[in-house]
Amino acid sequence: MVIHLNQITKIYYSGEIAVPALKNISLVVEPGEFIAVMGSSGSGKTTLMNIIGCLDKPTSGQYFLEEKNVTNLNRNELAHIRNKKIGFIFQNFNLLPLATALENVELPLYYAATRSPDGRGDGNDLPHQSGVSSGRQKRQRANELLNRLGLGHRLNHRPTQLSGGEQQRVAIARALVNQPPLVLADEPTGNLDSKTSHEIMTLFKQLNQDGITIILITHEKDIADYAKRLIYLKDGQVVV
Amino acid sequence: MNLFLTFQIALRSLSRNKIRSGLTVLGIIIGIAAVIAVMAVGQGATVMIQSQISSLGENLLMVYPGSASTGGLHFGAGTNATLTASDGDAILKESHYVRALTPITRTGGQLVYKEKNWFSGIQGVAPDYPKIRNWKLEKGSFFADSDVKSANRICVIGATVAENLFEDENPVGKIIRIKNMPFRVIGVLEQKGSAAWGQDQDDVVVVPWTTVRRVLQNSAFNDVNQLLLNIDSTSQLESAKKEITEILRQRHHLAPVADNDFTINDMTELSKTVTETARLMTLLLAVIASISLLVGGIGIMNIMLVSVTERTREIGLRMAVGARGQDILLQFVVEAIVLSGIGGILGILIGSGTAELVARVYGWPVLVSAQSILLAFIFSTAVGVFFGFYPAWRASRLNPIEALRYE
Repeated sequence: MVIHLNQITKIYYSGEIAVPALKNISLVVEPGEFIAVMGSSGSGKTTLMNIIGCLDKPTSGQYFLEEKNVTNLNRNELAHIRNKKIGFIFQNFNLLPLATALENVELPLYYAATRSPDGRGDGNDLPHQSGVSSGRQKRQRANELLNRLGLGHRLNHRPTQLSGGEQQRVAIARALVNQPPLVLADEPTGNLDSKTSHEIMTLFKQLNQDGITIILITHEKDIADYAKRLIYLKDGQVVV
Repeated sequence: MNLFLTFQIALRSLSRNKIRSGLTVLGIIIGIAAVIAVMAVGQGATVMIQSQISSLGENLLMVYPGSASTGGLHFGAGTNATLTASDGDAILKESHYVRALTPITRTGGQLVYKEKNWFSGIQGVAPDYPKIRNWKLEKGSFFADSDVKSANRICVIGATVAENLFEDENPVGKIIRIKNMPFRVIGVLEQKGSAAWGQDQDDVVVVPWTTVRRVLQNSAFNDVNQLLLNIDSTSQLESAKKEITEILRQRHHLAPVADNDFTINDMTELSKTVTETARLMTLLLAVIASISLLVGGIGIMNIMLVSVTERTREIGLRMAVGARGQDILLQFVVEAIVLSGIGGILGILIGSGTAELVARVYGWPVLVSAQSILLAFIFSTAVGVFFGFYPAWRASRLNPIEALRYE
């Protein structure tokens, strides 16, 4: 299995008051699944995604990612997991405004280059040591991805010169460039018109057919319909 | 992320806001330029003072006859005729440290050449005098031992005397009258300028010391006003003084309890005082100048803090795709270093240019040393690291979730 959440609870504190965002959630995600997470705002779906994405730690419970217990890893170790295992796609794309499409896609590769394979990232190892071995190879991989997503003619355009759909496809290429087993998308179609939304969802479907596990958050039923499995959250608990 | 790439990224993010980056760099430029210019002027002054002092001659020792005393009343150094030329010969022969020595006898007198006349000090010396004083001849030659032996009426004149008596004429070979006695000019000394205390060293006539005693002062005795000698190196100064004291005490048959009837002085005190003063002035000015560097550094910190806030989302994204805290830290520190480094390089150029301008316009001696350039560059980079670290550290501690959500 890709993800195994065991009795995950997350409690936020605002002053003295404890606000539980997730209550004892247990969840197993097998490789190749395509899951849509739905729920009203405040239902805890973003918190769940943050924990699955190794951006946040649970208050209690255990999280296994590809059989590895990542619950108690430190900041650097989590950064390494995010870099290698997880691709992020955001509602507002989050592209670097000054970088070209190609450079945006290459970004995760730079942070991959300085890591030792054990994920400790002690910073002593030479650049270009693991995975991608040279600048040219990086560029080539980013290039291929953008071509595959139909942006071969947009490589050197800045985000502001691209349409919303194109920007989201650049972001998807960025998420895929380190070949992660898991892609997390937080309302990826929230800023797109419905035609473009369906194009992007078709793309997700293709990626899923290629074997990538996808979890996405959405408000819209017709977007969620692209997924194979639906998880509905309410008050920090899985309803369906 | 390798360092070259980090620099590239830093340059790009800084060029996003050219005016802001430029103004921040300007703060460092002004600071570094001020430090460089002030150091250049200060070091130039120090070098000039040192060269003035060494123009008196290097490693000099001066022996003066002791003060005369009658019934416990002392009359001041040089009032007793106890120091003779043969004391000088003995020192030269017996001391291990003395390289060269000349007795000095002093008088003054009216000089006359044709219709011109001039009053000047007259120094009686031995042939080693130019060597001891580190003083070259511009024209002609200096006198020899034989001239000293026979107290010949020949003289070597300083540049000021030559100018006043001869103007454009070549003085060598001409006859001038000193105290109404004819002297042949055999050489002209090179211009040496004024001494550290302002006296014109070129306003002098140099003759054999015996000539002063026998001819000008009409005396049969060999006592002299001063013995001037130089030793091999400054480090031997104390031992040389001690040895000369021994030789002179022995020659003057002084009882062990008796005071010295002579005084030995050296230039180190003067040189130390003057150099120390110049050094302190430079330091003071440099401290004042570096305050502007501090202000520049605070400017960098300010801009970096703004930049970190503006780019919170970018930081969050970089963290989400795998940047560690230290990657973010490095990125922002490098940006600060690029700012301060560019400021440093431009500041060095502008500071050196300003120093050069001061040299041209005011005729001040300036010295832009490699040392101060290196120091300024290291200092400016250090300013970048120091003032860039806190904003970079704040960036590296950001929570990626909150950073990504930042509007």
